[in-house]
Amino acid sequence: MIEVEHLHKSFQTRSGGLLRGQRRTVEAVRDVSFRVARGEVVGYLGPNGAGKSTTIKVLTGLLVPTSGRVEVGGLVPWRDRRRYVGRLGAVFGQRTTLWWDLPVRDSLDLLRDVYRVPPDRFRENLKAFTALLDLGPFLGTPARALSLGQRMRADLAAALLHDPDLLFLDEPTVGLDVVARERIRQFVAHVNAEREVTVLLTTHDLTDVERLARRVMIIDHGALLYDGNLPDLQARFGSARELVVDFEAPPADPRVPGLKLVSSEGPRVTYAFTGAAARPIALATAHAPVRDVTVREPDIEATIRRIYEGGLLGTVS
Amino acid sequence: MNAALLRWGLLGQAAGINARLYCAAARLSFRRQFAYPAATFWGLLTNLFFGALRVAVLLALFGLKPQVAGYTPADAVTYTGLTQAFLAAFSLFGWYDLMRTVHRGEIVTELLRPHSFLGFWMAQDAGRAAAQFLLRGVTILTLYALLWGLKLPEGAAGWGLTLLSAGLAWACGFAFRFLVNGAAFWSPDAVGIGRFAWALMGLACGFLMPLAFFPAWFQSLLAWTPFPSMMNSTVELWLGHVSGTQVLRVLGVQAAWTLVLLGLARLVLARGLRRLEVAGG
Amino acid sequence: MGRQGSRPLPALYLLRLYFRLLGAQIRSQLVYRTAFALDALAAALVTGAEFAAFVLVLPRFGALGGWTLGEVALLYGLAELAFVLMDLGFGGFDAPNLSAHVRSGSFSTFLLRPVPLPVQVFGSDFALRRLTRVVLAAGIVAYGVSRVDVAWSVGDVVLLAGSVLGMVAFFGGLFVVGGTLTFWTVESVEAMNVLTYGGRTLISYPMSIYGEWLRKTFTFLIPAAFLSYFPVLHVLGRPLPDGLPGWAAGLSPLVGPLLLAAAFAFWRVGVRRYHGTGS
Repeated sequence: MIEVEHLHKSFQTRSGGLLRGQRRTVEAVRDVSFRVARGEVVGYLGPNGAGKSTTIKVLTGLLVPTSGRVEVGGLVPWRDRRRYVGRLGAVFGQRTTLWWDLPVRDSLDLLRDVYRVPPDRFRENLKAFTALLDLGPFLGTPARALSLGQRMRADLAAALLHDPDLLFLDEPTVGLDVVARERIRQFVAHVNAEREVTVLLTTHDLTDVERLARRVMIIDHGALLYDGNLPDLQARFGSARELVVDFEAPPADPRVPGLKLVSSEGPRVTYAFTGAAARPIALATAHAPVRDVTVREPDIEATIRRIYEGGLLGTVS
Repeated sequence: MNAALLRWGLLGQAAGINARLYCAAARLSFRRQFAYPAATFWGLLTNLFFGALRVAVLLALFGLKPQVAGYTPADAVTYTGLTQAFLAAFSLFGWYDLMRTVHRGEIVTELLRPHSFLGFWMAQDAGRAAAQFLLRGVTILTLYALLWGLKLPEGAAGWGLTLLSAGLAWACGFAFRFLVNGAAFWSPDAVGIGRFAWALMGLACGFLMPLAFFPAWFQSLLAWTPFPSMMNSTVELWLGHVSGTQVLRVLGVQAAWTLVLLGLARLVLARGLRRLEVAGG
Repeated sequence: MGRQGSRPLPALYLLRLYFRLLGAQIRSQLVYRTAFALDALAAALVTGAEFAAFVLVLPRFGALGGWTLGEVALLYGLAELAFVLMDLGFGGFDAPNLSAHVRSGSFSTFLLRPVPLPVQVFGSDFALRRLTRVVLAAGIVAYGVSRVDVAWSVGDVVLLAGSVLGMVAFFGGLFVVGGTLTFWTVESVEAMNVLTYGGRTLISYPMSIYGEWLRKTFTFLIPAAFLSYFPVLHVLGRPLPDGLPGWAAGLSPLVGPLLLAAAFAFWRVGVRRYHGTGS
């Protein structure tokens, strides 16, 4: 569906005055390559300014890259714009594509004409989305009067009315409460499964990624750092799992042969381990009388933060 | 509600007017005007171009006539230069700052400060007006003097009285602008009311044409309004069209309208704030 | 993916879509009734005050460089009528509006829709409140027509209609240029104002009052005199200045569209730049 090879994008920036200023070339994206298959959901992660939005802008045809090959569904995004964007849907969490002062229904109606959706298809889709996203209560409300969650639901419907093959979601859950987030994730998962829509998702909320994406790509400083699935990322770069043991009494010596000691505080001792928990638990319970045992899973967010900060990996694996 | 308590509580302090504070406000606002040299340059160019068109229209109206309604063609050129010079300082194209503060709700934080609201805004506007007059006004008058020739007030007394009148015209105009902006306390559509007011002000203060050129009935109608005090009076003093004790009368009328409008502005402000408090601002 | 090619969209569809977009604008603006009514009246008052000031002082002078009130009204009204019609149609290209669209990201939204960009920009800022100014301008023209000493022929009417058309295209072109410039810099906006609003005011009065070199500049360098001054001179049965032949009075519908075409060529350069920088 998406093929990107050796994508480069650099910008000329000028600092200082118009005449005396220094010209500088900033490389926003450096040699990025990846493929996305039809029907995949890919989480695209990276800190602000990493090159995420530049990549998305290239993929949506808004930006022409400096060099590299990009093909989406057999088309080059920035050539023949009209034909290309007719197959896209896009939702940007920060802004709406709806007409601000018009009822949602009127906006959707207008988009039907903009995308030339056949009337039957429009009716079917509207009915389906109204049910899935529970649009009914606010179809008659102007966009400006919607809550953020309602607006996002309406925008999702607006982005999918013309049956796009590819959906770009940029921070779709930003600023929403837990319930609203979950509703949007369920809808995206549904659309992906039922309609085979390929989804490229940028987000800062890792729960979005965990719930939706089998695959993540991490970009920083313009280069792709990781491309693979989430569990692998965890296995390779995550910190170890932790075993927290509450002994009946503070042990004379908290060290257990075969377990790595992390900390010891009175009767509570923490060990680090990798792999299955059965053996470490057996070792600990054999060491001294135990009251309680808990296994603490490593935090994905922390893992990714460590990737950004420490540069755990060179480039794409 | 809190705003109300604070305002009353602090009124005592505000009475002991802190002149230094107002000077600081004026100075800050004065300096801010120098921050956009590019905008100032293009603004000057636009001003000069429109001024040139106005001069052409006025001179064509005069044709071969040496004098009309007390104005010579040279007077008409000086009149145009003055109105174009006062344009920015007197905010003749409109001023919506207070409206914006009310509509955005920023006024609540301003009310928490221990000083007179009206006085603070007036000080700020004085700084802005002075900077605009020095930056644009003086430049424009210089250019007019070079391009077409400019009539100047006569003697130290002429300069002094004209400048006094210019100050009064600014104050009178400020009070009017403040008053119009006060509509924002009642209506979210105050911008439209403002546009009305500025269009009326442009016609009636002598910005579009010297008031002396208007038919007698229209002039006597305008004489009952504060608008001539907002600019036309100053222009006539500058041109020396008013002399002797008449000068004092003109200045007196300007001062009287300024006091009346400032009083009204205070009243509207007090009413508006009460309304804001009732609405839970 | 589907196999449909990107055939040019039918003109009728685009026209319908344009009017659908305008309809959306109009309904949005009518949501705020009071604000709309006030704005509509104020819009007319601003123009009205300017012309009223002129009307009120003219009796004291008799005429403007040999032009009677009716004659000036015809010239002034035509310029105002064309300018406000242009303002209605080309509002989306007006520099402040367009740069606001670029900043807010709605310009990228336009680019993400499978509709030609100009259609969407044309349909993006339709200020219905300006209709009152259209009415006022038409009234000034009507007054002028009733007061001038002309035996009206079909040719005269066609000439003046062509003049309005040419002016709409001419000033529309200036708006497009101004809007396009905001892809590079916003500081240029005030400079364009001299051309657009300054140009409108310039052609509202007989060019003869501006003196020789200014008039020649606006005839041969910037062909603004062809827009309305020459057509009106011709209708009034007066010779064109500088020994220009009579047919030069009919060039307005040529001059305007030429500038507009050049402006849209520049527009495409600007859009290409946008695609290069994304801002």
